[in-house]
Amino acid sequence: MMTRVLTLLAALLVLAMPAAAQTGGPLRIEITEGVIEPLPFANPDFVAENAAAAELARQIARVVSEDLTGTGLFREIPSSAFISQITSFNSPVQFSDWRAINAQALISGAVSVGGDGSVAVKFRLYDVFAGQELGDGLQFNGTQAGWRRIAHKVADAVYSRITGEGGYFDSRVVYVAETGPKDDRRKRLAIMDYDGANVQYLTDSNSIVLAPRFSPTGDRILYTSYESGFPRIYVMDVASVGRRALPTLEGDMSFAPRFAPDGNTVVYSLTTGGNTDIYRMDINSGAATRLTSTPSIETAPSFSPDGSRIVFESDRSGTQQLYIMGANGGEPQRISFGQGRYGTPVWSPRGDLIAFTKQSKGRFHIGVMRTDGSEERLLTASFLDEGPTWSPNGRVIMFTRETQGESGAASLYSVDISGRNLKQIRTEGGASDPAWSPLQR
Amino acid sequence: MRIGYYISGAGHIGLILWMFFGGMFNTPPQSFEVTEVSVISGAEFEAMMAGVQTPEVTTDVAMPAPELPAEEVPPTESQPDPTPPPAEPQVTEAPPADPVPQQPEPLPQQAEAEVSDEAPVIAPPPQEEVVLAPNTSDRPVPRPAERVAPEPVAAPEPDTQVADSVTEEVVPDEAAEVVREETEGGAPEEATTRIVTEAMEEPSAAPTTSIRPRTRPARPEPAPVAETPREPAPQQQAQEQPAQQPDRTADAVNDALRQALEGGAASPAAGGQSGPPMTSGERDALRVAVQQCWNVGSLSSEALRTTVVVAVSMTEDGRPQPETLRMLSHDGGSAEAARQAFESARRAIIRCGANGFSLPRDKYDQWRDIEMTFNPENMRIR
Repeated sequence: MMTRVLTLLAALLVLAMPAAAQTGGPLRIEITEGVIEPLPFANPDFVAENAAAAELARQIARVVSEDLTGTGLFREIPSSAFISQITSFNSPVQFSDWRAINAQALISGAVSVGGDGSVAVKFRLYDVFAGQELGDGLQFNGTQAGWRRIAHKVADAVYSRITGEGGYFDSRVVYVAETGPKDDRRKRLAIMDYDGANVQYLTDSNSIVLAPRFSPTGDRILYTSYESGFPRIYVMDVASVGRRALPTLEGDMSFAPRFAPDGNTVVYSLTTGGNTDIYRMDINSGAATRLTSTPSIETAPSFSPDGSRIVFESDRSGTQQLYIMGANGGEPQRISFGQGRYGTPVWSPRGDLIAFTKQSKGRFHIGVMRTDGSEERLLTASFLDEGPTWSPNGRVIMFTRETQGESGAASLYSVDISGRNLKQIRTEGGASDPAWSPLQR
Repeated sequence: MRIGYYISGAGHIGLILWMFFGGMFNTPPQSFEVTEVSVISGAEFEAMMAGVQTPEVTTDVAMPAPELPAEEVPPTESQPDPTPPPAEPQVTEAPPADPVPQQPEPLPQQAEAEVSDEAPVIAPPPQEEVVLAPNTSDRPVPRPAERVAPEPVAAPEPDTQVADSVTEEVVPDEAAEVVREETEGGAPEEATTRIVTEAMEEPSAAPTTSIRPRTRPARPEPAPVAETPREPAPQQQAQEQPAQQPDRTADAVNDALRQALEGGAASPAAGGQSGPPMTSGERDALRVAVQQCWNVGSLSSEALRTTVVVAVSMTEDGRPQPETLRMLSHDGGSAEAARQAFESARRAIIRCGANGFSLPRDKYDQWRDIEMTFNPENMRIR
């Protein structure tokens, strides 16, 4: 009894002097909880430094804003709320006016068009509440025809300076453009900017094409075509649209190709004699090596960013699951153990996560997990979601979503790896099987 | 003699029973409409609804102008971007003509009916599977809020100004004795306590918004139970108690007293601070104020693994002095990630301190200089 009383007294004494230990130095507190919300920014129309740049200045500012707000990490403050305007690129910024409207970041830019049609775009980024510039001012030069790319580069720089990670706006997506009804769907390869602009078609729709994949440098594309009657892998040069088939034996079916990080090796599936296994091929010499050898179906291989491992799907356990093996084959290790079937794994460019398609309880999901299979998170759920592809910075996943019914159509969606900001990508007509390019150089 | 009573009693009882159960007090039943209902399974319901659902609309976006991508790239690039030439217009082949329907084959002659003397065996009708309807109807889960905060906040009324706390709208009232300044009402922005992905948006009967249970004080750990099968003798207990328990208690008491006394003694000597010490409530108020503005949504994954310690000096009216904000140390990430984390912390302190933190002025010496540790461990994936 006595001991309890003593303990109670001691506790009361400690509570009565909660900050006693703090005296004699600065007050110390620990913040462990915060908020997650879009960061409000102001992006006034860029200053047109000559008359020819007036329209371009407005358009570039709009694309920069669309890029940033499209991430879900930023929120643009409408210009109607502005107290002051940016009328000169070099004028001092009235931070108090921007603080008053809670703009935490301010972009100030200027555009000039030269007599030869060249365009110069410069910008500065400010931390409004700190009252100072974030990084140094930057200028991009280009042509009027390439103004969208310049805008994407400005947005990439702003994104990178605020978040601390690389951007993904100056990138492209190759995909399968689809037209026609479900029972007579015509498919052809198309390439577009990441946001759906500047669509160009790379193949005709005379034969079915599937699963295009960019090379690590973005200058070549691997894809599968039924042009010969059998699925066969082709490699296309993006600049010339020239293509050639990878060597395979007559009657063999090759599909699901993907480049190794070195850009000279391709890993793919080959069906021969009714059995599907994973092979790798030196793209220059055509020498192929078999990596798996089981009676089950092994497909959808994807290299780790360092090229040392390959993740793939296999039904060797009886259901479709994900496995990891060395780049030269060997005994694979199963990493997916949840309920349902797992497929189309893709290694993140950061190397820390694997995106996948999961089918469970009649619904399809896009999800991510650690490379050891832990911390599985499902990001989407619908009638049919499949085929994830990573943004160059490993922050966003794009995938195919198909709607139900005879009139169902395929379209492209993207989602942040946190599961936020699920949205549809603008495409002309149906679209499926996207593959994100690296950042353009 | 009693027979009469029995007859009378039985008669009365019979009469009463007839009145109650015979329908004397019942009003004639009103006519009502009977609708046949049937119980269907969830799968049947979904299949039925799928047929009437509007197909998902695909975005109908006009094709962008067929402008050529930039052949010339900004000077920061080493090589011009190779772009494919515009694709040749595709010639769409005409679909093959529908096959000419062939002459239908003549119908086979109708076979004669086989007659049998035995009565056919009629299979019993299939047993209808009865599915119990759920007791509670699923209700749609609201879309996840854009803001994730430590405490959930319900969506404010439309056209409500976003404010840090709920403020009532003040309208001019001529009859009022005290004229208050006209202000618009405000309410905090809608917030949830975690990121809700599409895969999580399953309909649920559970409450959709509830305050997270606060951490309960840890219960004292039970004293370790000795594995001796029988109780020790009273004499043995008396010998062990003074040897063990008073030691632990005395240590705890001494520690607490030492901490309290050392802290109190160090105060004037070390910093020359005066005034009463900050209470835990006052410290919590400051912590809550800062965390409301600490937005980690735009931080990189690496910055979310970086803890930074930020120092700031305060003015007497509770405002941070921006020029004094500096990062004292960081842990867990690169210097670049620490810079991002520090900038986020700096924004939080300046933003929420712009109007002055609610700090006791008489204890200014206690909070003239503040060191804040921003630890994003709980904010990585919510």
